[in-house]
Parts: sequence; C-alpha cells; structure tokens
Amino acid sequence: MLNKFAKGFMLAASLFAAQSFAAPTNAELKIGISQEFETLNPIIMTMSASAYMYRMVGRSLVNLTPEGKWVAQLAKEIPTLEKGTAKIIEEGGKKKIVATWEILDKASWGDGKPVICQDFITAREIAISPTVSVGEKEQWTQVEKIDIDTKNPKKCFFKYDKAKWDFYQLAQFFPVPTHLEKAVFDKYSKQKEGYEKNSNYVRNPTNPGLYNGPYVVSEVKLGSHVAFAPNPHFYGKQTNIKKVIVKLIPNTGTMEANLRSGTIDMISVLGLDFDQALAFDKKTKAEGLPYVVHFVPSVTYEHIDLKLENPILSDVRVRKALLYSINRDDLVKALFEGKQQVALHNVSPKDPWFTADPKIITLYRYSKREAGKLLDEAGWKMGADGYRSKDGKRLSLAFQTTAGNKTRELVQVYLQNQWKQSGIEVLIKNEPARVFFAETMTKRKFEGLSLFAWVSSPENSPRSTVSSKAIPTSANGWSGQNFHGWKNATVDKDLDALDLEFDAKKRADLVHEILKLYTAEVPVLPLYYRSDISVTPKNLKNYKMSGHQFYETNNIEDWNLN
Amino acid sequence: MTTFITRRILQTLAVIVILSYVCFYLMSLMPGDPVDMMVASNPKITAEDVARLKSLYGLDQPTYKRYWNWMTSITQGDLGYSRTYRVPVQELMGPRLWNTFLLSFASLVLSLAIAIPLGVISALKPGSRTDYFMNLFSFAGISIPSFWLAIVLIIVFAVKFPILPAGGTQTIGEGPQSFWTELMDRSVYLVLPVLSLSIQQIGRFSRFTRSAMLEAMRNDFIRTARAKGLSRSKVIWQHGFRNALIPLITILALSFSGLFSGAILTETVFAYQGVGKLVYDSIIGNDYNVAMISFVISVSMVLLMNLVADIAYGFADPRISYQ
Repeated sequence: MLNKFAKGFMLAASLFAAQSFAAPTNAELKIGISQEFETLNPIIMTMSASAYMYRMVGRSLVNLTPEGKWVAQLAKEIPTLEKGTAKIIEEGGKKKIVATWEILDKASWGDGKPVICQDFITAREIAISPTVSVGEKEQWTQVEKIDIDTKNPKKCFFKYDKAKWDFYQLAQFFPVPTHLEKAVFDKYSKQKEGYEKNSNYVRNPTNPGLYNGPYVVSEVKLGSHVAFAPNPHFYGKQTNIKKVIVKLIPNTGTMEANLRSGTIDMISVLGLDFDQALAFDKKTKAEGLPYVVHFVPSVTYEHIDLKLENPILSDVRVRKALLYSINRDDLVKALFEGKQQVALHNVSPKDPWFTADPKIITLYRYSKREAGKLLDEAGWKMGADGYRSKDGKRLSLAFQTTAGNKTRELVQVYLQNQWKQSGIEVLIKNEPARVFFAETMTKRKFEGLSLFAWVSSPENSPRSTVSSKAIPTSANGWSGQNFHGWKNATVDKDLDALDLEFDAKKRADLVHEILKLYTAEVPVLPLYYRSDISVTPKNLKNYKMSGHQFYETNNIEDWNLN
Repeated sequence: MTTFITRRILQTLAVIVILSYVCFYLMSLMPGDPVDMMVASNPKITAEDVARLKSLYGLDQPTYKRYWNWMTSITQGDLGYSRTYRVPVQELMGPRLWNTFLLSFASLVLSLAIAIPLGVISALKPGSRTDYFMNLFSFAGISIPSFWLAIVLIIVFAVKFPILPAGGTQTIGEGPQSFWTELMDRSVYLVLPVLSLSIQQIGRFSRFTRSAMLEAMRNDFIRTARAKGLSRSKVIWQHGFRNALIPLITILALSFSGLFSGAILTETVFAYQGVGKLVYDSIIGNDYNVAMISFVISVSMVLLMNLVADIAYGFADPRISYQ
C-alpha cells in the first residue's frame, strides 16, 4: 500500500516537474522583482520598481532608447532649433525656449479619451502644488507655461524658464488624465497631501482611463503583485502577451527557486544580486535550463569618494597612489568573471560623452612601483611593520560602505589587501544603508574612503556630483552630492557653459575638459561600471535591456513568447 | 472582577500612550528623516525642495508637537499616510494584518494541537523511548533556523516535487471566487509557511508542556486521586493537566500577543504579504505612520493578552482571586 502511494506520489511529482519547465506562452508572463513598489501615480512615484512597471502602462513625450538615443514617443517629433519647432526667445533680459510639441493623433487613455495638451497642464499644476509631496520640482517647473493651440488640443507650446540644450528630455514629464484627476485635485488641493490620498491611482487604480501605455492595470496588491491586461486603445501595436504579472519576491535567495518552480517565468533587472546571477548562469549552462541570463553594461558607476578635507587625502599624490595601487582589471576578473567593466571616470561607455583617449584623460594602470614612488615623494615612508608613516603617524584611512552588501564587502576586502601591499592601512567601518546614505554621506561625516554607486543616464550633466555648489552643507539643506568636496573653478565654469551649449561637439569638448581635470586631480577613485542583470525564458524574443533608468519595459509591446 | 478588569484596561491605555511617545521619540532620534533619505537618492533635489518637504511633512516641528498631531489624527480615526507606498495606512495595513493573523493563528493552532499531546505523552513516560524520541524531535525543532527550513521546504515541495506553490498569498488574477474556492486556494499557499513556523513552536510548546505536566503529576493530590480510584484519563486531564495549565497560559498569552506582529523571515522567504516585512521596511525607511501603528498594535496585543492570561489563571486555578 505504502509502496503504491510512494510510486503514485513520485509519478505526480515528475509530472508536475515536467510542467514547471514548460516554456511560458503569450497567454501569460510572470515577472519576478525583489524591490518594493508604490502606487503608480507618475507624478509622485519615486521607487525604481514603480518606474519599471509604469513604462508598461504610461508613456511620455520622449524616451531614451537602449542605444542612448532620444526618440519621440507620445509626441509626433522632437522639436529642434534647426527645424524651427523650437526657438530661443528673450524675456526680461533672460533667454528662454519655446518648443512646439504635438501629441500623436492616436494617443488615447485606456478608456478611449484622447491624450491632449491639457493632460500635461494638469500634471504640471498638480506637481508644483505646495500640498503635493513631489521630491524634485525642477523637472516640472522648468516648463514655465504651456499654451494650447486654439485649433488643435493635441498641439501645444512649452515655454521653458531657461534656454538649455536638453529642453526636450522630458521623459519624466508624464501627463495625467484631466478627465479623471482634475476633479480630485480641485477638491483636495488645499489639504496637505490630500490629492495623494484621494487620487484615482490610489482609490481606483484599475480604472483603465489612468493609463495610456500598451497595458492597463487589472489588479494591484501593494507588497505582492500587479497584473496587467492589454490596453485596446493603445496608440502603438497591440501587445503579443495577453497578461503580464509582476510579482514581488523580497528574498533574492528564493528568486531562483520561484523561477524553477514556475511561480515566475523571468527575473527582472530589479531581481537578482550579481553573485546570484553569476551562479545561476553557470547552473543554466550546466543543467541546460531553458533560461538566458543577461549581463548588460549599465550607466551605474561604482566608485570610492575621497574626503578631500582629510589631511592625508588632500595631497593629490596620495590620491593617485591609491589608484595606482589597485589592480582593477584583476578585480573585475576575480570577482565578476569579467562581466563588469573597469571604470575610467564618471561617464560610462554607453554615453556619447565617454572617452578613453589618453590625450584627454589620465589613465591609471596598476603599478605598485608608481604608487610607491608617489607616496615616497609625499613623505610617506615604508616602515618595518609593512605600513608607511610620516612624522610618526601611520598612513591609515577609514573605508566605509553599506553593511550587508555582499558584493561591496568583497570589493572592500580585495582593495584593503592591495593597499596593504603598498603600505597603506585601510580600516573598514561599514554602516547600514540608511545611516550611510542619509547621515554619513549626505552630511559629509565620512572620514576617508566611501564606496557606493551613482546611477545616471547618458548625456546627463555631472553638476550634482562635481560642482562646488553641490557640496552639501547645512546652509543648503544638505542637498547636492559632491560629497568628496571637490572645488575647481574651471569645472564650475564648464558646467555652466554645458547647460547652454546647443552644439553637440562643443558639449562633448566641455565634458572632456571636466574629465581631464577629474582624472588628473582624482577626487574619486573609479572602480567599475556595473552591469544590469535579468533572466528571461529562452523563447522570449525582442527583449532588449537598456542599461539605464528607462527600463526595457518601455518596449514590452514587442516582446513575444511564440 | 469588573473593577479589576476596568482598572487594568485604564492602566493598559496609559501604558500605550506612554510607550507610543517613547517610541515616537526614539524614531525621531534615528539618523536621517524621510527627506534626508529622499535627498540621498535624488541628486536633483534642491535646498528649496528640502525646506518645502520638511515643512509639508511637519519635520521642521519639535517631536512633542509632531506626536501631538499624530495622536490627534489617530483619535479621529485617521491612521495617516504611508510616505513609502503613497497610500493611507489603514488601506496598506488592513489586508496585511489579516494575512499575518491567518498565518500566525494557523501555525499556533497546529503547534498547540501537536505539541500539547506530545508534551503530555512525554511527561507520562519520562525516560522512556517515546520520551527520548519526543525530546529529540523537540530539540531538533527548536534548533532548526526557520529561514533555513523555509528554503528547504521550498526546494523540496515547490522545486523538486512541485506540489505546493513556492510563495505568495493566493493565486494571482483568478478574479472573484466562491468562499470555499478562495479558502482552498489560500490554504494551499499557507501550507509551507505554516509548516516552517510550526516546527519550531511545536518543539518549544512540547517542552513547556512536558515540564509543567511532569511537575503537576508529582503532586500529592495526583496520588490521592489515583487512590480514590479515579480513571487514568480523569487523573491526567482533570487533575494533572489543569494544574499544568498555569505556566502554559503565560506562554500562550505571550504567543497570542504576537499574532499581529508578523514573522518577518517566514513572510520574506515565502513572499507572503504579511505585516512583518512591512514593519521592518517602515522602520528602516522612516515611514513613521506605518511603524507607529504597528508598534501600537504590538504593545496593545501584549498588554491585552497579559490581561486575558490573568483572567484565565482564575479559571484554571480557583485559588487565584481578583481584588
């Protein structure tokens, strides 16, 4: 009897096992993410997971392609000075831009109502309201005024408060449906956070009229999942996949088990840790699993900020010696199997502004000898204990990062060992991410070296991290992210000129001048450019990871599982 | 009895108010407020944005004033707004509290149903093979880390033999279902998390039951009851077990008080939509309103269950009286 039961159980189990590896079809795709998400109100959402999902249901005037090119999306075309669809005007002695934007004729909300210019006006009005907690208002206030063409509600004229070359980069300037959201805002606009609490995105998130993308939200459970159904009113091609579910699996350690059990069909870019992806890639190849593990270079820049006020680090020779002492080629090979690229500076190879030209930037190849020479020149002499010292004081620096981040902790140990070989003592003092970012870094309380990453996008001004005006102080409310405290008058001048330069070649030249100073003065130790990772079923076609913050879900209508 | 209960309820309310202020104050001491964290993650936030947001969130006010505002909202039935999830707290926490309650309650009932008989059997035959086996089982249960057990359960029952879901709360996208279909669906998703939570609790409860029962069965009145010719089951359950109940009630009351606190590790590993991870994230993310409500619920449950335990002592042992 027991034997019969066991046989039956094994048979059933093997049948289920066979089912779990059945390739997903266009009927349904379940995507796993490990990061929390909030409500999908494009005006107030801030989480990466929300942005990942919002690209499935909402589109903006323009978007950045995985190749780093700006393209029109809800707009018919991107306005330019050359075509005359944008022009520089002067108002009160100040240069401004007026650009003509025309929305696609077929662009509609999920309830069939057309997307019109008024929807952008409503979004801007809500976003700049003092009772609505939008973090960064500048992306909304940069557009001073929107006028609608009297004959065409889909054609409008955006007046920008400054004549900046990147005026058209409005990928975060999302419209909201006036016919649904305006009444809510008018009713609650005087209450503190009244709009946010009562918006349809909170009260009735499955209303299709809230979305203009290829999908609409069909079910939301915060902390669990969001389900998406095709939007029949989408302006573009209809989706191949009939149902998409994004499921939150907070423990990355169980992500693989969920994938192999069929609970999810793929792991998004916001899913696995790097080491887990490397391990799973090997298993996939060894066991012939029906998945592809993607490693795509991204614009995320992993680096070490140096506290320039530290008397040891204020000497550029010591900073250079720190960089010469570490073998970054070896680091990426040993820890990442070469799947992440050594960083030269803060501009990634995905960016048109990137340069590796030794005539422009200073390159630092691993050289213990060069490091030793620089440290000797700086007066740091090697002692019998294997550490360098000057005036009886050991060359010792504190090294901080986010505690519990396995990859960063491994990198720390690796670097600590290499610096030791050059006679530099590095003491690890890690902190929880919350303390590290919200206190130690923001308030510039770190003492020596701080390891973390910057996420950027191609052709993004590095103002917030290198301008002397971006050094956080109590006077500026600790805003700005020039944590290292680098001050360079030429860099400040170039940054100001960069914003106003409409010639692409001249812009690149300005950035290259900044990079020249950045690599010569070494306020930061560049480590590596991170790779984005995701896992997809083998039969998923037209899947293209972007490597920047405009996620691959932006072309989800092209994904095909047939 | 009524005076005793009324007095205890009033004391409970006072303790909740005092502890909630202490908790609010301690949270305000934690490094980095919600705006600091926003600044750290967004390079484009300006000094004006910082000043505006601090004023909007009331972070520019002293702690006592912020606490008073929070308390006033609570008494008016407004639990506040989660700045992490951008939804009112009651909408965020309601379903999660229910899910956590289901998970914890199912696990507690299963644990008690297994642990009490095991403990009693063990105590009745001390030193026997059964006792040794039960002890081994109990110690193994107590020693196995629940997160490790959870992962093993997933690998065995969801990956190797996929007969149960690896995680989640219920099947997604099934739409409205009948009560029984939904109950069955939810039960399937509860099996692995309940098992993972129960193994440890069974070990703990059976050990407590065994020692309490051993102690009770050594008393003179047990010998007297046997001498009077009472049946074995009457001696065990009416005389022995009833006297063993006092320490068990204390343990049970403490366990019941955790019904709404959540089991963070189990919930995280099984992607179970409970309150445990929400509370952890709200404290880490400085989401005051969510953290404070969960704290008030936890404190209230502890105090309430202690009150229930005090009353239950009287029923279990008539020698205990309340004045």
